[in-house]
Amino acid sequence: MSELLGTQAKAPGLSERWGPVALYLLKRLLSGALVLLAGTAAVFFTIQAAPGDPALSALGEQATPEAIAAFRAEYGLDAPLMVQYVRWLLGFFQGDLGQSLAVARGMPVGALVLQKLPATVFVGFFALFLAVVLSLVLGTLAALNRGKATDTIATSIAVFGVSMPDFWMSYVLIFGLSLGLGLFPAFGYVAPSTSLTGALHATFLPALAIAAPMAAVFARTLRAVLIETLSKPYVTAAKSFGLRRPFILVHFVLRNAMVPYLTVVGLQIRYILGGVVVVERIFGIPGIGSLMVDGAFARDYNVLQACTVVFLAIVLLVNVAVDMICALLDPKQTVK
Amino acid sequence: MTSFRRFLQHRTGVIGLLIVVIVALAVLIGPALIPYGPEDMDFMAMLAPPSAAHPFGTDSFGRDVLSRVLLGGRVSLLISFTAILIAAVLGSWIGILSGYHMGWTDGVLMRVMDLLFSFPSFILAMLLMVLFGFSSANIIAAIALVYLPIFARIARNTTLLIREEPFIQASRLMGRRPAAIMLTEILPNISAPIMVQASVGFAFAIILEAGLSFIGLGVQPPTPSLGGIMSDGREYFSRAPWVLTMSGMAISVALLGINLLGDGLRDLTDPKLRERT
Repeated sequence: MSELLGTQAKAPGLSERWGPVALYLLKRLLSGALVLLAGTAAVFFTIQAAPGDPALSALGEQATPEAIAAFRAEYGLDAPLMVQYVRWLLGFFQGDLGQSLAVARGMPVGALVLQKLPATVFVGFFALFLAVVLSLVLGTLAALNRGKATDTIATSIAVFGVSMPDFWMSYVLIFGLSLGLGLFPAFGYVAPSTSLTGALHATFLPALAIAAPMAAVFARTLRAVLIETLSKPYVTAAKSFGLRRPFILVHFVLRNAMVPYLTVVGLQIRYILGGVVVVERIFGIPGIGSLMVDGAFARDYNVLQACTVVFLAIVLLVNVAVDMICALLDPKQTVK
Repeated sequence: MTSFRRFLQHRTGVIGLLIVVIVALAVLIGPALIPYGPEDMDFMAMLAPPSAAHPFGTDSFGRDVLSRVLLGGRVSLLISFTAILIAAVLGSWIGILSGYHMGWTDGVLMRVMDLLFSFPSFILAMLLMVLFGFSSANIIAAIALVYLPIFARIARNTTLLIREEPFIQASRLMGRRPAAIMLTEILPNISAPIMVQASVGFAFAIILEAGLSFIGLGVQPPTPSLGGIMSDGREYFSRAPWVLTMSGMAISVALLGINLLGDGLRDLTDPKLRERT
């Protein structure tokens, strides 16, 4: 029966599956590292090419030439560009991202980033989790009730969702759930290390604001993929064997829909991180996004550079993780 | 004409088109029909709630929010539209070159596009704005650069699909120059997916521009923009919520229209997707 259903007679165990997956992962990690390396060079030289002098912006227009020279010597800005880049890169691999020029002058940027990273990662993952849960529910409901009222409602929610930018969604949530019903705070952050429930409570609105437009995109993708999967011969075969519908849905339909769904989720990480920047600002969350905006207004090039590279690294890491999950779900992916 | 008639049968697509036309007319001729300028201050009516005289209320300087939203909408939509137009033209060009020549041209161009595509879009746009200054031209350039790789990939993949088709081979055998083949044979055949992507990208660009202006790294005051008006509104949003709400709803209406129109265009050009929905 299992041959007829299109699955292998003996599904390979998890340990057998890891071999090719590990090799594939290694390749993905390597290419990710190469992109990160190219990214650091691109960011570094773009910053150098831009008009504006970090010494002038840190010391003010009235700075004496001696003060500027001293500043440049102190921060190693007087060396040739290639030397500065290699120095920066070597430092980067040792966790040294230089010193802050303006936001917290003299403080190591690496320490600043480490201090701010947990909040961003927490809110980002919370948002991702909410977006996945919301979209699984909406997308599955819509696909299973295709053409019926449930589908129309779910699809409409999704269309309105993509029309709500996260910063506008933030205020709708603040109006409704914070100022209106008083359920959640409109501002502030609690670290999960202090209190996990406190952190979830404090960051629910920002996470939901980031998640809502993402959930809409995910749900639309999932609906389209599910509808296509539902029409596959193996689903018809499974039905004709009298397998129960929830079983078919989980083991045949959702499982096969997961790879295209997760691919879209991986692509949207770039937008989730963009949303984090603005939403952190609105809700006063002390994360990398807030740090980068502070760095932007203070023209602190070291902070800007470090934040950009850290965001790039997060995107690349999450994409490798998504590739890994896809490869475990469907080993065929490793051949591509 | 037949494809336009087919589009007219797509109910939500037509609704989207109507919304887009109404929004475009409102921002283009609306400001001329309103008795207040976006900079006219009325100190007798500061933070006045919506009324017959001021349908969207007034802000902290007593400026009419409706006329600011319309003019800000014009600024935001023009910036986003120009950025996507540039990204679509440049991206198609890069993608066609890549897909048609393949080899090292393809390798180099696509690695650069991959690198651009890896950066979180908002972060990259923000960095470029800080480095190169807050002029409208720079906002357009930043958004165009962020969206460029998406058009380049689509143009390249579609070009790869059709480059060995008999009609292209025939052109090549006739001794036509590659540039002419790309322009007259390939471009018309990849324009449909580019158009669909442009509508998606237009919505994306509006969100990106509004986000930048909202945190103060985009369009600078006194020029109104939708994100800028929202940013003004958040300062006193518990006392006078209409400034933030009305500008936010204006963004949503524009995005809704563009998204519905984009869905219609996609269903029209991709028969496979049409079956799915």
